[in-house]
Amino acid sequence: MKKIPFFFLLLLTFTSCKKFLDVNTSPNNPPNVPVSTILPTTTIGLAFANSNDLNRATSALVQHIAGVANQTLAYDVYNLDGSFDNQWNGEIYGNTLNDLQIIIDQHGTTSPVYAGIAKLQMAYVYSIATDIWGEVPYSQAAQGTKFLFPRFDKQEDIYQGNAALGITSLFDLVKSGLLDLAKTPNAFTPGVDDLVYKGDLAKWARMGNTLLLKFAIHISNRNPTLATSTIASVIAGNNYINSNALDFEVPFSVTVGNQNAIYNFNNVNRPQDQMLSARLLALSRSLNDTIRLSKFFTKPLIPGGITGTPTFVAFDNGSAAAVPTLSIAVGQTQYYLRSKYGIHLTGAAEPLTSATPGGATPIRILTNAQVQFILAESALILGTPGVANTYYQAGITASMQKVGMTPVEIANYFATNPLVVTLAGTTEQQRQQIITQKYMSWIGNGIEAYNDYRRTGYPVLTLVNNPAGDNPNVIPTRLPYTITELSSNPNAPKPRPKTDVKLWFAK
Amino acid sequence: MRKLTLTLSALFVLLISGFSQKTITGVVVGSGNSLPIPGVSVISGKAGAKTDASGRYSISVANDATQITFSAVGYSSQTVSIGSQTTFNIVLQQENIELREVVVTALGIARDKRSLGYASQNIKGDELANRGEVNIANALQGKVAGVNITSASGGAGSSVNINIRGISSFTGSNQPLFVIDGIPISNDVDRTNSGPNGTLGDNQPANRALDIDMNNVESINILKGPAAAALYGSRASAGALIITTKRGGNAKGKAEIIFNSNYSFQDVFGLPKVQNEYGQGAGGVFNPASNNSFGPRFGSAPSITNGLIIGGQPVQNYRAYPDNINEFFRQGTTAENNITLNTGDAVRNQTLSIGNVSQKGILYGTHLKRTDVRIGANAPLGERMKIGVSLTYTNTVQQGTLGGNNSGLATLLGLARNIDLTSYRVNGTWKNNTGNNNYLIAGVENPYFAQFENPLTSNLNRFIGHINVSYDLYKWLNISYRLGGDMYTDRRKQVFAITSGRVPLGNIREEMFFRNEINGDLIIRATRNNLFHTALSVTGLVGQNINQRKFQNIAVQADQLAANGFFNTTNGSVFTVGSAETSSLRRLVGYYGQVSFNYNNYAFLELTGRADQSSTLPVEKNTYFYPSANISLVFTDAFRIKSNLFSYGKIRASYAKVGRDADPYLLNNVFVNPGFGNNVASVGFPFGTVGGFGASSRLSDTIPLSPEFKTSYEAGINLQFFKNRVSLDVTYYNEKAESQILNLTVPPSSGFRTYTTNIGELTNKGIEITASATVIQTRNFTWDLSANFTKQKSMVVSIAPGVDNSAIPGSAFTGSIPSFKVGYPYGVIIGGLIPRAPDGQRLINPSTGTYQPTVAGGVLADPNPEYQFGVTNTLNYKGFSLGCTFDFTKGGQILSFTAASYKARGALDITAVDREQPHILPGVIADGTGKYRPNNIQISGQTYWSTGMGGLQSEFNVFDATVFHLRELTLGYNIPADIVKRSKLSAIRFGIFARNVFYVAPNSPIDPQLNTQGAGNIRGLDLQGTPNARSIGANLKITL
Repeated sequence: MKKIPFFFLLLLTFTSCKKFLDVNTSPNNPPNVPVSTILPTTTIGLAFANSNDLNRATSALVQHIAGVANQTLAYDVYNLDGSFDNQWNGEIYGNTLNDLQIIIDQHGTTSPVYAGIAKLQMAYVYSIATDIWGEVPYSQAAQGTKFLFPRFDKQEDIYQGNAALGITSLFDLVKSGLLDLAKTPNAFTPGVDDLVYKGDLAKWARMGNTLLLKFAIHISNRNPTLATSTIASVIAGNNYINSNALDFEVPFSVTVGNQNAIYNFNNVNRPQDQMLSARLLALSRSLNDTIRLSKFFTKPLIPGGITGTPTFVAFDNGSAAAVPTLSIAVGQTQYYLRSKYGIHLTGAAEPLTSATPGGATPIRILTNAQVQFILAESALILGTPGVANTYYQAGITASMQKVGMTPVEIANYFATNPLVVTLAGTTEQQRQQIITQKYMSWIGNGIEAYNDYRRTGYPVLTLVNNPAGDNPNVIPTRLPYTITELSSNPNAPKPRPKTDVKLWFAK
Repeated sequence: MRKLTLTLSALFVLLISGFSQKTITGVVVGSGNSLPIPGVSVISGKAGAKTDASGRYSISVANDATQITFSAVGYSSQTVSIGSQTTFNIVLQQENIELREVVVTALGIARDKRSLGYASQNIKGDELANRGEVNIANALQGKVAGVNITSASGGAGSSVNINIRGISSFTGSNQPLFVIDGIPISNDVDRTNSGPNGTLGDNQPANRALDIDMNNVESINILKGPAAAALYGSRASAGALIITTKRGGNAKGKAEIIFNSNYSFQDVFGLPKVQNEYGQGAGGVFNPASNNSFGPRFGSAPSITNGLIIGGQPVQNYRAYPDNINEFFRQGTTAENNITLNTGDAVRNQTLSIGNVSQKGILYGTHLKRTDVRIGANAPLGERMKIGVSLTYTNTVQQGTLGGNNSGLATLLGLARNIDLTSYRVNGTWKNNTGNNNYLIAGVENPYFAQFENPLTSNLNRFIGHINVSYDLYKWLNISYRLGGDMYTDRRKQVFAITSGRVPLGNIREEMFFRNEINGDLIIRATRNNLFHTALSVTGLVGQNINQRKFQNIAVQADQLAANGFFNTTNGSVFTVGSAETSSLRRLVGYYGQVSFNYNNYAFLELTGRADQSSTLPVEKNTYFYPSANISLVFTDAFRIKSNLFSYGKIRASYAKVGRDADPYLLNNVFVNPGFGNNVASVGFPFGTVGGFGASSRLSDTIPLSPEFKTSYEAGINLQFFKNRVSLDVTYYNEKAESQILNLTVPPSSGFRTYTTNIGELTNKGIEITASATVIQTRNFTWDLSANFTKQKSMVVSIAPGVDNSAIPGSAFTGSIPSFKVGYPYGVIIGGLIPRAPDGQRLINPSTGTYQPTVAGGVLADPNPEYQFGVTNTLNYKGFSLGCTFDFTKGGQILSFTAASYKARGALDITAVDREQPHILPGVIADGTGKYRPNNIQISGQTYWSTGMGGLQSEFNVFDATVFHLRELTLGYNIPADIVKRSKLSAIRFGIFARNVFYVAPNSPIDPQLNTQGAGNIRGLDLQGTPNARSIGANLKITL
C-alpha cells in the first residue's frame, strides 16, 4: 500500500514516467552465465541424448530388448512415426548443441580450452544426429537467429566436409577442438564443472582422437582412403582411449533428478515397457556368454520372486504371445519377474524390486572395448597397423572387465570358447565375429550397435513378429524425422524419407 | 428594534420572492438500478435544464414557480410541487426496460444503452446467483450471445474457459478482462506443476473469477468487441465483463437485510455407457493383473484355459459390477449463504455483506470453501464532492486431485468390469500398513489412494478494494479519481505419497502465488447541452490510467520422501527438482479521451482515442495510439415511423483498433536452469553440487518488438415490435489481428523452440443475435423468452514466411498438439492420421489386418463449434416464476482420452457387441499395383477395439461435440406481500433449481463440453479428468 502516495505523485509529475516504466529486466533468468555452468549442461545433455528414447528405439531395433508396452512396443515393431520430437528438440539441438555453440561463440576467444571441449562434444552429438537420421541440419544448425530455418546437410558432407557449401567436416571439427585444447592463455579452465575428466585436458585429447577412430570406421564403406589415413594417424599418435579407466563416460548418481535415464525409465517410471529380447538371449547362449549377459540383464528368481532359481525371462520381439507377468508381491515388495536391464546399466542390485535404488552407473559414450573392436575391424579390412585378432581379444576382455566379470570368469571364458574368441575364416566372417562381439559389448547403448548393424549387416537380425511401420519388410535403417521439425522447417525434406531408405554410410 | 428587524426581513423576503429566482438542485436516478440518468429534461415554466453525466441538475426557477417536470425517453415523466424545498432527488420509473436501459460501460461510465454504437449484453446478478453454481463464469453459460464457456471438469472449483467472440490472439490471453466497479481484477489461472506430467491432467485450479460472490453482483455488462472496450485498452481486446456490485440503499431510503441461502446436491453424470458381459483379462483369458476387460464372458464355465481356475481353485466373484465406476463418486453438496445489510438512499448509503460457500466435491477428498466479506459506502462530501469506497476480503480454500496419465482417475475411467472398488473405500484399504498404494494390479494407482493421499490444496486470501472520489468543478465539469487494488496470496500444497502412480518415490510441493494489481484512473468529464444548436449535446472525457501488475511464484519441492504418511517438506531427500522462484512486474501508463455527440437523442456519434506506454516493450516502441469510432441512429425516432407494431429501430456501426503490449521480459535472450526429459525419464540441475545453466529455448527477435494491433468492424441493428414486447438485436463483426507478438514455433534445429516476434494474421467473423419476447402478458401471467445465437469463424491467414503451423503454448502430448495452422480455424489439434486410399478409405496393413501406422502432422480435431444458441424461458404466475435455460452447440470436435481408454480397455458398451465373433476393420488393402481391395482380414474383437479403434490420440477418439444441454431449471415463489408483512418482513422468495439437468450428445460417448486444460487457449482435449456433475437444490431469499 505504500505505492499509493507514489501513484499520486506520479499523477502530478508525469516526467518520472520513463523511470517508472523501466522495469523490464527479468529477475528470473540471467542474461549471461559463467562458462563453467554451461559445460555441465552440455555434458549431461549428450549423455541423456545417448541413453534416453533414441537408445530405447535403437535397442529395440537391434533386438537387445523387446518392447512390450507403450512407446517401446511401438518401436519394437517399427512404428516410429511421430516420435523423437523430445530427443531432436530437447536433447540434441536444444539444450545441448545450442549451448555448445554458445560456449564456442561467447567463450572461445577468452577460454579456448572450453571451446576445444565444446567442439569435441559437438562433433559427437552431431554424429548421433546424422547416424540416426542421415541428412540433418548441421552447418547452419543451433545458431539461433543466424539461421532460423537451418538447411539439411547431406551425411557425406557432414562427415567429409563441403567447402562449396561452407560445411566443416566432423573430422575437422574434432581436429579444431584438439588444437583449441592446447591454446593459451585461458581466462577460465575446467575443473569440477568437467563432470567426466575433471579438467584433465590430456584425457579430452584422447577422447577427441577416439572420436576420429569412430568417425573413420563409420565411413569406411564409402571413403576407405580417409578412414585408413585417419586411423593410421591416430594409431601413430598413440593418444586415444586405450584402457577402461580412460573411457569417456558421463557419471550419474542415485539422487532423484541425477539418475541415469536407463534406470530412471526402466526402474522408476516405466518398469512395464521393455525387457530382454529372446533373440539376444539366444545369441548369448549360442556364444556361451550368459555370465556377461547377466550383468546387462537381470535373472529373476522364479518362481516366488525371492526363493527360486535365477532364470532369464525374455520375450520374442513383436510376438503376439502374452507378456510375462511384470512382478509379484512378496510381503510389501514387488519383485520383478522379467529380465530387465541389470546392475551394469542401472546400478540396481538383484533381486530387483520396485524399490531397488540405483541410477548411479555412468552412461558410456566412448569405450576402450569399442576402440579395440574398431582397430580390429580396421586392421582386417583397411590394413591399418596391428593384428586384428589381438585387438579383437582385447576388445572382448575390455568389455568383460567393464561389466564386472572376474578375471577367473574371463580366463575361463577364453579357455572354454576358443572358437568364439579367435578370429577365423574369410574376412567377412571375421568381420562378423568382430561386430557381433562389439554388439554384445554395446548392450545398453543401442545407438552404437545400430550404427554397426547398418554399416556391416551384423549381427544378422531377422524381422520381428508382426512388423509394421513405413515398410514392414525391412528393419528400419533410419528413424523418421520429427513432427515439429517437419512442420516448422521449410528446408526439411518433404515428404520425409521412409525408414527403409539407407543412409550414405550404410552397407 | 426587534419589530423593525422582523418587518425588514419580511420585506426583504417579499422583495426576493417578487423579483428574483431560486435555484433547485438534485439527482435523478432510475428505478431498479438506482443509477443516475444523464440528459433528463428538467422543466419549470420557461426555465429548463438537463441532468449531467452523474444525473445531477441545477435549475433556476422563478420564485413563484410551483412545479418541476422531469422527463426522459424511456421513463415516465414525473412532476413535483415546489414548496420551500430546494433539493429534489428524483427516482424516475422506467417505462420499458428494453427501450431505456442504463448500462455500465468501459471505465465504469453509466450510459444509456440507446446511445451505444456497439454490442453489449447486460445480465442481472439475480439471474446468476443462488443456482448452485460457485463460479460466475459457469453461471453465465448459455445466457450470452457470442460467448463460449466451457469447464475443465466437474471437479469442485475447476477452471472455466471464457472466450468472447472466439480467439483473436495467437498466444496471448484470450480471456475477457474482469472489471469490478471500474477496477480490473485478476482472472488468472495459477497452475501447479503436477509432477513429471507438468500441468497435463492437473486438477485445474480455478480461474480466479471463482472468488466473486454472485450475491454481490448487481449486473454484468458484457462488452464484446474492441469498440466497446476501447477505453480499457489492450487488456480488454478479448472483451470485458463489467461487473457492477450492489449498492447499499434503495430508492425508498429504507434499511434492509437480505438473506440468501441455497443448498444443492451434485451427482456425477455423463459417464460413458459400459458393457457388463466380459471381465478382466486378454484374449478371452482371465488375468487378475490386467487393466482391460477382454477376459472371458461372465458366466463362463471356469477352466484352466480361460484362466478362471487358478491353482486348482475357481476364481471367486468373477461377475459384473455394473456400477463399479459411478459408485466411485459420491454425492457432492454445495451450501451457500449470504447476508447483506443495506442502509441509506441513492446518494448516501452503506452496505455490508458476508457470504460463505461450502462445497463437497463429487470426488472423495475434494472440496471448496469460500468466505467473503464486503463493505461498501457512498457518501457526498459537501456540495460538490462524492466519495465511494468498497473493500472485499475473500478466502477460498480448494482441494482437488489429479486426472490424466498415471492418475487414479486414469485407473478408474474404463475400469475392468469385474473389479469391485467398494472394499477399498469402505475399509480404507487403499493403502497398506506401510502407507503404500494398495491395488490388485501392481504398478497401478488405486483410485482411492489418489483421492485420499495425493491432494492438491490451495488456500487463497484476496483483497479487492477501491476508492472513488468525484468532484464537480463546475456544473458541467466533473473530475474523479478511482484507485483500486486487487491482491492475493495463494498458498498451495501438493502431495504425491510414496508409490503414487505419477511420482513413485513421493513428492511434496509447497508453493505460493502472489498477485497484486494496482490501477488508478483520473477521469475528467464535461457535458455541454445545446451546443451550436438546441438539439445537440456533447459529452467529453479525458483521462489517465496507471496500472501495475506484480506476480510472484515461489516453490519448494521435496522429492524422494523418507517415510510415507508424513507430508512435510522436511521428509524429502532432494530439494533441487522444481524448487524455484519466478516473479514479474509490469507497468502501463495510458492517456485517453472520448467525445460523444447526441443529436436530438436519436443520432449518436462517439470517438475515442487512447495512447499507452508499456514497460514490456522496447523503449523506442513502447508508446502506441489507437482510436475507435461508433455511430448509431434510432431511425424510428429520426423519421417518426413508430407504430404500435414497429416500436423501435436502431442501426449502429463501429470501428475500433486496439493495441496490445507484450508479456514482461521478452526482449532479451536469457539462460535458464536446464532440464532434460519428461515424465518417462528426466534429469535436472544442480548435478550433485555442480550447478548448471542453459540457454532458454526462447529466442528474442533481433528487431525490436512493436505493439500488436487488432482492428474490428462491427455493425448491428436493434428492432422492437408490438409496443416493445418483442425485440431483436443482430450484430455482425469482422476482426483482424495482425503483427501479433508471438512466441513462434521455430525449427528446433535452430537450437531453440520459439522466437518472439511480430508476425501473423488471424481473422474472426461472426454473427450474434439476441432476441427476447414477452410471449404472453396478462395481469397474473407472463411468459418471457430470451434467446441468443452465435456463429463465429476464425481463420489463421498467415503465421510467418515458411511457417505452416505453430503450437499453442501450454502442455500437450506429442501426437495431439493444439496448434494454429494456416488456412484453418484457430486451435486445431495436430496429430497422426491413418493413411487413406484415393477414395478416402483407410488403408489396412495386410500382414496384421489393422490400420497402417498413422502419418504425423495431420489435423486430428477442430474444437471450434459451427454455431451455438441458448434459450431462457421465464414464466411468472402470481408469485410463482418458472425458468428454464437450455443451450445447443452444433459441431466442433473433442479428442477424448476418457472415451479412448473406455474403448481400448474393452469397457465401453459397444466393445461387447459380438465380442467373440471375428471383426473386420473398415478399410482397404493396397495390392501394390496401385489398386485397392476391401479389407477382409479377420481380427479379434480385442484387436479391433484396442488396436484398430484404440489409441489415445487416434482419429477414432475424436468426437463430434454437438450437444444439447438442459442447463438450468428454476422454480421460484414469492410469498405474497400481505402474508410477508404480517411477519414484519419485506419479501420472502423460495425456490428450487437444477443445473446441468441433462445433455444429449448424439455423436459422443461423453459430455463433449469439457475442456481439460480449463481457462486458456488450448481447447478440445479431454484428458481423463473429473466428469461433469448435475446439481439439484433449493434456495431461499428473505428481505427484512
